[in-house]
This record gives sequence, structure tokens and C-alpha cells, in this order.
Amino acid sequence: MKQTHLIIVLISIFALPVLAQNLTDSNVNGLPTGEEIAAHINSRDEGKAVSRKLKIEMRDRSGKIRQRETMSYRKYFAKEKRTVIFYLAPKNIKDTAFLTYDYNDPDLADDQWLYLPALRKVRRISASDRGDYFLGTDMTYEDIKLETRVSTADFNFQTIGTCNAKGKPGLKIEGIPKTQEIARELGYSKTQSCVDNEIWMVRTSQFWDIKDNLLKTVTINDIEKIQGIWTQKNIEVENHKTGHSTGLTFSEVDYRSSVADGIFNTNAMKRGL
Amino acid sequence: MGSNTLSVLPDANRKLQPDKKRLLTSQADCYFAFIRAAIITALCTLFSASLYAAQWQSSVISSVLWSASSHNFKQQNYQFTVEPEFILRFDNNAKLTALGRLRSIGLDALSPEGVTDKAYSPFSKPLFIGNSSELELREFYVEFPSDNFYFTLGKQQVVWGKADGLKVLDIVNPQSYREFILEDFDDSRIPQWLANIESNFRGWDTQFLWIPDQSYHILATDDALYTPTSPLMLPQSQAGVSSVEVKPFKRPARTLMDSDVGLRLSRFWRGWDLTLNYLYQYDNFALLYQRRSLTSHGLHVEIEPQYRRTHVLGGSFSNAFDHWVLRGELAYFSNRYFLAEGPSTSNGLAKGEEISYVIGLDWAGLENTLISGQLFQSVVLNRQSATIRDKTDSTVSLLVNHTLLNDTIELRFVCLANTNIGDGLVRLRASYEWQDNLKTWISNDTYYGSREGIFGQFDNNDRLTLGIEMGFE
Repeated sequence: MKQTHLIIVLISIFALPVLAQNLTDSNVNGLPTGEEIAAHINSRDEGKAVSRKLKIEMRDRSGKIRQRETMSYRKYFAKEKRTVIFYLAPKNIKDTAFLTYDYNDPDLADDQWLYLPALRKVRRISASDRGDYFLGTDMTYEDIKLETRVSTADFNFQTIGTCNAKGKPGLKIEGIPKTQEIARELGYSKTQSCVDNEIWMVRTSQFWDIKDNLLKTVTINDIEKIQGIWTQKNIEVENHKTGHSTGLTFSEVDYRSSVADGIFNTNAMKRGL
Repeated sequence: MGSNTLSVLPDANRKLQPDKKRLLTSQADCYFAFIRAAIITALCTLFSASLYAAQWQSSVISSVLWSASSHNFKQQNYQFTVEPEFILRFDNNAKLTALGRLRSIGLDALSPEGVTDKAYSPFSKPLFIGNSSELELREFYVEFPSDNFYFTLGKQQVVWGKADGLKVLDIVNPQSYREFILEDFDDSRIPQWLANIESNFRGWDTQFLWIPDQSYHILATDDALYTPTSPLMLPQSQAGVSSVEVKPFKRPARTLMDSDVGLRLSRFWRGWDLTLNYLYQYDNFALLYQRRSLTSHGLHVEIEPQYRRTHVLGGSFSNAFDHWVLRGELAYFSNRYFLAEGPSTSNGLAKGEEISYVIGLDWAGLENTLISGQLFQSVVLNRQSATIRDKTDSTVSLLVNHTLLNDTIELRFVCLANTNIGDGLVRLRASYEWQDNLKTWISNDTYYGSREGIFGQFDNNDRLTLGIEMGFE
């Protein structure tokens, strides 16, 4: 009898966190689970292909502002997503281009290339560098690749409650990297996002660094339905550690015009736009 | 490089056999037909289109250099460069690009004219203004897509290969060595008039090059700052030689038959970036043929710079593994001429073949940091006689690049070391981007090692540079 009690106690000790998590996750007042929300976000229609202009504004702590103008294209080849970004201005970075192949298979690492006009060469980039900041912005290579999606291959998501982002009610989810190695690679120990559950888009996100300090906040200020697809028009990223921030503004968003397959290769990067 | 007889040389002026002549004539006809078609297509494309956008951009770059040796430290040079760029876009996707360069240099030893300007083709030669300035049409080309083809016609740069700072396959365009290898390759490469036609064939991206413009490597002439003196590059004076005469460059003169042609096949296969490259070109380094004769004053040496053809067959690869990127390139040269050792060889040159390769490994495991090492080796095969250079010549390089403050600060360390001679070059550079179009930098280049080495020969030319670059749009 004593033995049975001991087993019950042990099971309770070890099972408690799991039970607690399940309670937090799935049944915070009957809200959908984190994984369900992530699945909704990732299954949202993004269009088969898109072209758009992207203006990037980078501001440092002292108020200095640098601006970049780019043209970017994204296209799905079955479930493989290819994205290419061409820099148009200013002169010192013009013609730089970034290309990524994002495979649906989580076991396959992405392939990435960077064209550097000063060298006139396309340099292969390790996909493990995905936690590095992308060309001076506060977005990492991984953030740029994911756009509005979330990575279920890297994070376990759970629902932690409801939230309010700019007057829009939403669901709050927390993402914890699946392994320490992923956390180190991405530079994040935790994320929390407020998701608009009417359109299944993230409205705000916060990221904590691997020392568990608040690292940055991402706010999507302007979401508009373009050609039937909910589209982010302005994103603000604030880095709390450095005081640096980045604003991304999309324009001339076009889901209907065809995007040539040939633009997603290294020769097209060299040719530029 | 040179000797008494030219027996190894094919006689460029020999009479052609009638059937061979017919073959060449038909090849020339094909060339002409091809060129005509390309030019007509280009003109039709341009004139059938309407201009819908024009862009103008310009860069102004100014730098001050100080030189240092074991004996002195003095201002060496100031340099002022303006690089205007015009782009016209037409409504049928055609694009016309023109890029110019006006460069003024305030030191005779680096003057634009102080180069082997005979190596320029008449169509590519800059306009020298006085002895301190040059005006050059760097690039002028039209691009347009047509069905499954993409044409780029005009004066342009074509870059092959995956190596950094060392050239194996990046040999399509010749290079100016006016500042040895200190200038950025983008500035030191000599653009040529050529047809660049790209297409896709059964999953392979193909690039065909036809290069009628015969320009070659430009070297600094006598008394310039970077005049080569290493015995690996120039024949050395020998005992008993009373006079040396350098004859004019003997340049290939036939526009069509002396053209270079190239072909590159590239594809992305199972994570690997692969290319296969072929180039039939004149070696960009002039071969210094020597002819010796005995005069009443002693031994007289005539040096006649010439260019010789070679087939180049090679390939390149790259792939990423975790934090690492492995890349490399290899080239085989069918005909190479090296400075021969000893006075016994007839023309001072030893013919052979060459294999060159680079293996590079990049590591990006630290945030915003790239560490890259490379091994470059060149191996001479089937030498006809002993050569001044070793049969196998090895150079290693290390690059460390780190960016700070959202890429506004860039720190770079580069070391190139030749392991045969033990000489090398160390380069340090720090740059800061003040605004979108305003950047300054400070850099230091230090040579070390034996004067007989490619790097060590400039041991007295260490330098410190301060520079500023402004862009206008």
C-alpha cells in the first residue's frame, strides 16, 4: 500500500509540469492549442507567387537613419518556397541580391546565396547562419525567410492566453526552441506572439535572447487585403539591446502577375534587375 | 622570358593549306553570320522599344596613401576617382548600361600611363590625360532576353570561379597590376568588348562567350611603384650581357581568328553549386621570348613580348554543411610557358602544362563573423626544361571579416602567404558607413619575405591608406 502511494506521488511529481502545460496550452478557456494556431498561420493563403517593393529604414540609437530600397519575389515550387531580394538603392549596396530555397522537409537545410557586387560573385551562405542579422537590419536571415509564418520545425508552440494588439483581440502563443542548439542558432530562447485569429496573422511578437533577456519587439502596423490575400504593409522591429530599429514598408504588392522561374537562380542574381 | 630561336613557336604567317583555308573561311563565315545576327537582334530590340526609365548614379572616391619601408615613411599618393553610371531601360526588358571612370593620381610612380599600355586593345584603351589622369569607358553593354536566351553584348566584365583574392577561373578578363593586387578586382579587371549569351539547356545554365577584344594583363612599367622585379616574373640580368633591347609587343591581330571563346555550364544539383568551364584564350601574361646574339660589345639580348594560346578546362563547386561552406575551383591549362632556369634553353622559356586549384573553407559560427581559409596550388606538368619557379607552388590565405553596429563598421583581416618562398602580404581594413552614401576607411598593406617572391618583391612598398567614398543618385 505504501508502495502504491509512493508511485502515485512520483507520477504526480513528474507528470505535474506536463499536465500544467496541457492545461495552459489547450484549455485556456477552450482556446485552440499553440500548434493549432501555428498551423492556421502557416496554412494562410500567401499566393503562389508575389512581387513587391520593400523599403527598409534602419535607425540607430543616435537617430541616424539609413535607407535601402529593394525588389523582392517569392514563389512556391510545389511546397518549396523560393525567395529572392534585389537591392536597388543606395549606390553602395545596389545590386546586392539574396536568394533562398526553403524546403518543406524539416530535415533538409535551406540553401542560401548572397551576391556581392563588389566581388561580382555569388557567395554560398551556410543556412546555420540564420540567426545572423540580415544586411544591417534587425531581422535575421531566418526572419526574412519566414516572413509572416512561424517555424514549427524549430519551436514548440503553446497558447498562453488572449491578447490585444492595436485594438484587435487575438490569441497569445509562446514558442520555445525544440533544442538548445536551435536556440543558439536562432539567437532566441523564447518568443511570444499575439495572433489575430480572424485572419491568422501575427500582429506583434517579442523575442528573448538565449540569456533570457528581452531582445526585440516586432509590430505589424498595417495589414491590408490585396488581391484577396491579407498582406502586411508595414513592420517595425525594435532591438531593445542595441536601441537600433528597422522599419519595413511594402508597396506595389502583386500576387497576380507571373513571376518567371528563372529569376530564382544564381545567374539571375548576378544580372540583377 | 626568352632565347635564341623561336622554334617552339608556330609561324603565325605561314601559308595555309587550301583545305584548311577553306575551313577557316567557313568558320569565319559562321562567326560573321553569328555576329550579324546578334548585332541585328540587339539593334532591333533597342530601336523597337520605347525608353521608359533612365537612371543616373555616380560615385566619387578619394584616397590618400602613405608608404612605409624600413627606411622612410612618406606620403605616396593621392587619388581621386569619379565613376558615373547611366542605365536606360526600355519597355521590352532591354537595358543599356554605361559606366565610366575618371581617375587622377598625384604621384608619378603610380601614374596611369606607367603601365604596359600596349597590352590594351585599341578599343579598350583608356584616354590618358597628361601623365596623371585617365578617362575610361569601363563598361557599355546592352542586355535583353529573347525566348530562352539572355544576351549581354558590349564592353563588360565576366567573372568565373568561387575563390576569394586568388584567381584560378577568374581569368576571362585580363587585369591591371598597376597596384599589384591591392586594387579591388572590380576596379583592376579590364572589361572587354564581348558577346555573352546565356541560356538553359536540359537543366544546365549555359553561358557562351565570344571575345574579339584582345586586351591582356597590364603591368607597371619601369620605375613605377609596383614594377615587378621578382625572378619569378622577369628574366634577370646575367653576367656577360652588354645590352638588352625590349622589342614592341607582338599582339595577335586577327579580329576573328584571334578571338577568345568560352563556355560555362552550371547547375544546382543536390545541394551543390557546380560549374564546368572551358576557355580558349591567349594567356593574358606576355611571354618574354629572348633572343641572344654576340656583338662586338658583348652579349646582346632581345626580348620580344608575345602572347600564346591555351585551352583552359576547369570547374568549380560549393556547398554548405552546418556552419561551414566548402568551395573550390580547378583549371587545367594545356599550354603554359615559364621562365626557364639557366642560360641553356633556347628562348628563356620552358613549355609545359599547368593545373591550378583552390580549396576554400568558410566558417560562420560566430555572429556577424566570417572566417575563411584557402589553399591555392599550381602544379607544372610535363616541363620541357627546368623552370625558375618550383614545380608545385602553394599559397595559403586567411580572411577574417567582422561587422559591428548593424553593418556600419566592417573590420577585415586578410593574409596571403606563399609557402615556397616564405613571403606574403597582410592586409587590414576598417570601414565606417556614416550615411547611406558616405563611407570612409583606413587600411594597411604590409608585404614581407624575400625580394625574390611575388609578394616580397614589394617589401619596400608597405602602405597606409585613408579613403572616402560618396555616392550620388
